[in-house]
Amino acid sequence: MGYFVTFHWMWLAGAALIGLAMGWISIVQRGTGLSKRAMQIAAAILVVAIALSASRVLGPAMSRILPWPGRFGYWLDLGLVMLATYFVGCAIGSWLRERMIWRSAPRS
Amino acid sequence: MRTVLRWVRKWWPGLIPLALLWIWAAWMNTAAWETDLAGRAAAALKNNVLDRANVEADGRDLTLSADAFSEEGRQSALSIVEAVPGARLVRDQTRVVPEAKPFAWSGERDVTRFTLAGNVPSPAIRGRLDDALRSLAGNAEVADHMEYARGAPQRFDAATQILIEQLARLSSGKVALSDSSITLTGMARDLGGREAIADALKKLPDGFAVTENAIQAPPYIFQANKDPVAATVTLTGYVPDNNIHGTIIAAARRKFFSEQIVDNLKASVGSPPGFTQGVVEALGGLSRLSTGALTISDTDVKLAGDAFYDVAIDQIRSELRTDLPQGWHATADITAKPPASSVDPTVCQQLFAELLAKSKIRFESAKATIDRDSAGLLDRMIETAMRCPTAAIEVGGHTDTDGDADANMALSQRRAQAVVDYMVRAGAPADRLKAVGYGETEPVASNDTDEGKAQNRRIEFLVR
Repeated sequence: MGYFVTFHWMWLAGAALIGLAMGWISIVQRGTGLSKRAMQIAAAILVVAIALSASRVLGPAMSRILPWPGRFGYWLDLGLVMLATYFVGCAIGSWLRERMIWRSAPRS
Repeated sequence: MRTVLRWVRKWWPGLIPLALLWIWAAWMNTAAWETDLAGRAAAALKNNVLDRANVEADGRDLTLSADAFSEEGRQSALSIVEAVPGARLVRDQTRVVPEAKPFAWSGERDVTRFTLAGNVPSPAIRGRLDDALRSLAGNAEVADHMEYARGAPQRFDAATQILIEQLARLSSGKVALSDSSITLTGMARDLGGREAIADALKKLPDGFAVTENAIQAPPYIFQANKDPVAATVTLTGYVPDNNIHGTIIAAARRKFFSEQIVDNLKASVGSPPGFTQGVVEALGGLSRLSTGALTISDTDVKLAGDAFYDVAIDQIRSELRTDLPQGWHATADITAKPPASSVDPTVCQQLFAELLAKSKIRFESAKATIDRDSAGLLDRMIETAMRCPTAAIEVGGHTDTDGDADANMALSQRRAQAVVDYMVRAGAPADRLKAVGYGETEPVASNDTDEGKAQNRRIEFLVR
């Protein structure tokens, strides 16, 4: 995985920047965001995707549907790594914005 | 935790540009990633001995196809590819090269090409065989159609190296090995090539056996050409060794008394059995022709030319049939030369004298049997006798003084009669020929020396 990340570092950096920006914006965004139900569905999809990517055992099983994980597996891995990077970027962005707001808020 | 969850709920809009970036990254990177991954896997396998090794990447998955030379080698190659950073799954399309039974290998040569085919146990041996063949092939094309297989006999490498060396000795042919059994077919390039190959095969490693050696040698050629204008007999072709060379030249000098012998013979092994006898007898036939050519190809004798008179044609054919070694075959394409013009007795006498000045009619020691080396001279004497149809010819026999005078007289008479009989058989009229024995009564030189005695032992022709 180390080589995989190194090879795609520019794209991951892009994902991190998007995440940083999204995290920065999300703090001051109005509304409550995704519903609890939508969050649960998204989490389930993510778990399945991670399981597919992480498990080599699933390779032969998947071959019944697809000839071989092949490029689909590569794209899935790339997407998950980018998503993870995005989330890290979001977390940092949100944390920095939250911290900045907290500092500039009037103290009573 | 609640705060973080609140943040996460609001992060979803960023997934849209992230998805676009992901698609872009997949579009741009897939081919580059696959090329990089396959390249690194191939480089990692560089030191493994594999045949037809090929690594293909499909995303993060690799397909390794290769022929390994052992199960250990196959497992090692798979482990190496599985350990390549970034690889996810390895699809195994490797196999251990099949075992050949029997283990067959061959080398073939034709006019323009050397071809190696059959089974070979490893790339190292294959390389050595190819190198050996290229070093021998010169400008000829070299084709390698060998397939890897297990099951080669012990010391296959050494045996095939020797067999490849023998290919260079062939003009065309094939050397083949089936397990430890060797067969050779084809034509040797040079005279003696067949023998050289047989010698080299004795150095094959233990366990290998030649089951068939059908190498043929090029024909062993001996040629003689009698040119009456240049007064030469030119000998070309091959003789087995210096001793036989000397024997043949000496025989030629005895038989061709008035021609110069031009010796262009070369020594080479590979002569057919009975070569010396066959050549000497065939040269005897040529010596009886006024002009002609003799070609001996292995055991086939071809004699062509003009005899001095008609009866000689049948005599020469008959002698070739009976006197050549067993297994030899003769073809005589002989015609009689046109009769020479008649001359008066004086000229006739002069012609006899000229011929006898060049050589003399020889007999077996103390016998009245004409030496066969004198056949050429006798034919010339008969031709001359036929040119003077009105003359009576006395054939006189003479001896030296060794032995009893009466015995010498009788011997000289018998020898003279033998010559007359020979001439009559050849077609000369008997009524014009008379044999007279003079014994030791008319010496032409001193009988005190061997040289003088030799001169006194003679046949003379007297035209009356």
